[in-house]
Amino acid sequence: MSLRLNEDQTAALQELANIGMGQAGNSIARIWKEFVHLSIPKINMVESTRIPELIHGYVGDTEVSASRQAFHGGFRGEVLVIVTSNDRNGLAHLMGYEGSLDIAEREEVLLDIVNILGGACVGGIAQQVGAEIGFSAPSLIGEHLNPLEVIKPNQLAIETALSLEVRFIVENRSLSAHLVILLPNNEVKALADLLDQFLCTL
Amino acid sequence: MVDLKDLELPGFIVERLELGVFAVDPDFNVMLWNRFMQTHSGKDLESVQGQNLFEIFPELPQDWLKRKIESVFALGNYAFTSWEHRAYLFRFKHNRPITGGVDAMLQNCTFLPLKDSTGTVRLVVITLQDCTDTALIQQRLAEAITISDEERRKQQELIVKLEDAKNQLFQSEKMASIGQLAAGVAHEINNPIGFVNSNLGSLERNVGDLMKLVNAFEKAEAGLPPESQITLKRVKKEIDFEFLKDDFTDLIKETKEGLDHVRRIVADLKDFSRVDQTGWQIADLEKCIDTTLNVVANEIKYNVTVVKEYGHPPHVECVPGQINQVLMNLLVNAAQAFPERGQITVRTGDEGMYVWVEVEDNGVGIPPENLGRIFEPFFTTKPVGTGTGLGLSVCYNIVRKHEGELTVKSEVGKGTCFRLSLPLFHGKLDETSDQTEASTVNAP
Repeated sequence: MSLRLNEDQTAALQELANIGMGQAGNSIARIWKEFVHLSIPKINMVESTRIPELIHGYVGDTEVSASRQAFHGGFRGEVLVIVTSNDRNGLAHLMGYEGSLDIAEREEVLLDIVNILGGACVGGIAQQVGAEIGFSAPSLIGEHLNPLEVIKPNQLAIETALSLEVRFIVENRSLSAHLVILLPNNEVKALADLLDQFLCTL
Repeated sequence: MVDLKDLELPGFIVERLELGVFAVDPDFNVMLWNRFMQTHSGKDLESVQGQNLFEIFPELPQDWLKRKIESVFALGNYAFTSWEHRAYLFRFKHNRPITGGVDAMLQNCTFLPLKDSTGTVRLVVITLQDCTDTALIQQRLAEAITISDEERRKQQELIVKLEDAKNQLFQSEKMASIGQLAAGVAHEINNPIGFVNSNLGSLERNVGDLMKLVNAFEKAEAGLPPESQITLKRVKKEIDFEFLKDDFTDLIKETKEGLDHVRRIVADLKDFSRVDQTGWQIADLEKCIDTTLNVVANEIKYNVTVVKEYGHPPHVECVPGQINQVLMNLLVNAAQAFPERGQITVRTGDEGMYVWVEVEDNGVGIPPENLGRIFEPFFTTKPVGTGTGLGLSVCYNIVRKHEGELTVKSEVGKGTCFRLSLPLFHGKLDETSDQTEASTVNAP
C-alpha cells in the first residue's frame, strides 16, 4: 500500500520548501546579480500513474527538457526537473558562459539549473528538518520532449510521488521549472517522521 | 587492534586515492592540493598553496568556474561537471598515453561545500575523477548504438519497401488474372465476331441482290392481274414495305458499327491488360488514356461527361500496362467523386523533359485531413469491402518506379485534380528489349 503525508506534514513540507527555495533564490540573485523570482511552491501527492498528466497540466502543450538527480542520506529519492525555457542563452550568460552555446553547453546549463533548483528545494527541506543529504550528479532525461512522455509510469518503482511546482524567473530571462520529487514508500515514511520531529520542535 | 590515528587514514585517502582533490577559499586561493593534482599538474603543494587558482592556471574558464564555485559557497549544495558536457577542468595528460586515442584526461568533477559548525561554507572542495577509460568505452558504445540505429532504420525502410512490393504484387496479380481472363474472353469473343462479321458481309450482299430482284418485280407489277396487284399492295402495306426497304441498309450499317465497337473494346481490353507485358516501350499517353477510357466506359459513362483537352505531348518511355493501371485508377476515382452528375477533364501536355496528364473532377473533393493519407496503402474512405485502399498507393509506387511524380490538389466541394508527370526518357529500352519483343508478339 502507498504511504501518503498527512495534511500537517504536507503543509509543513510546503512551508519548508518555500523557505528553502526563498533562501536559494536570494543566494542565486547575489551570484548572478539579477533579480530572481521564485513562485511559492505548490505541493501535491499523486499516484505515479498520474505523473504524465500532472506534468502536462503544469506546462501544457509545449516541448520540455527534463533531467533527474538522485539524493541520499536522511531520506532518499530522485528529483525530476522539467524545464520550459525560451532563453537558455541568456541564463548561460549569467552563469559565466560566453558566446552562443553548443549542444554540450546547452545540456550543461540545463543540468546546472537542475542541480541548483533540486539542491535548493530538497537540500533546503533537508537542512531545516536536520537531515544530512548528499546529491549524485544530475543526468539528462532528454530535450524537446512531449510533456506526456517525460516519465513512463510503468518504469517507475514507486506508487506515489511528491510533486512540487515552482516557477523560477530571472529578470526577463524567463524559465519555468517544475520539480517532481520521487520517493519510495519507506522514504515517504522517513520524510514523514522527520517532518513530525520538526513539527514537535515548533 | 590497529589504531587508525597512527595510520593517518584521512590523509592517506586524500593523498593516495586515484582522485584529484583540491580546495579553494572564497577568494579562490588554493588551500588543499593532493598528490594526484601535484603529479598531473606538475605543480607541488608549496608552489600553489595560498595562491589564487586563476593566477596559477590562467587557462581555466574563469568566468564560468568562478560563478560555479561562488554558487556552491552561496547555496551550500553540491555542484557537478561531467566529461560528456565539459571534457575536463584541468588539461591533464590522460592515463593511456599509448592506447588512448584522446588528447587529454576526461574528468568528472564534484564541487563539495565544506561547512563550519554554523553551517557557513568555508571551503569548496573539488574532486576530479579520471573518466578516460569509461569515456572511451562509452564512446565506442555510442558508436555501436549509432551503427545499430542506422541498421534498424535501414531495416525499417526495407520493411516499408517490402510492404510496398507486396501491395504492388497483390495488385498486379489481380490485374494479371483480370488480364488473363480478359485475354481469354477476348479470344472467345473474337471467333464468333469473325464469323458474324463475315456472315453479315454475305447477308448485306445477299439482301442487296434480293432487293434488286424485288425492284425488278416491282417494275413488272403493273402487268399483273388486278387481283394479284391488290394482294401485293395489301402485303406491302402490312409489312410497311417502303420503310423496310430503307431500313435494311440502316440495320446492316448499324450492326456493322456495333460489331466494330465490340471488336474495339476487345482489342482495348487486351491492349489494356497486357498480361505478359512488363517491358519499357515508347508510348503515346493520349492513346493510353483513350484505351483506358474505353475500358472503364461502363463505370463512368452514365453520370459523367469526359472532356479531353489534349496538348499532344511527345511520346514517353514507360511501361504502358502500368501507366494504364494508373490512369484507370485516377479515372475511376474521379468518376466516383460525384454523387450525381459531373465532369472529368483530362488534360495532357509537356514541360521540359516531362510529359504530364491531369485528371480533374468537379466532385466532392478530399478533406485536408485525408489528403496527406490518400497514397498510404490500405487507406480508403469507401465502405468496408468496396475498396482495397490499394489503388492510389499502387499508382504512387508505379509512378515512383517511373521516376515521375503523382501529385494531388483538392478543395472540398470544388473538386480534385491529380497530376501525373513522367520523364520522357529512362534509357531502359535496351535492357528489356527482349521482353519488349516478346510482348509485341502478343499485342493485339
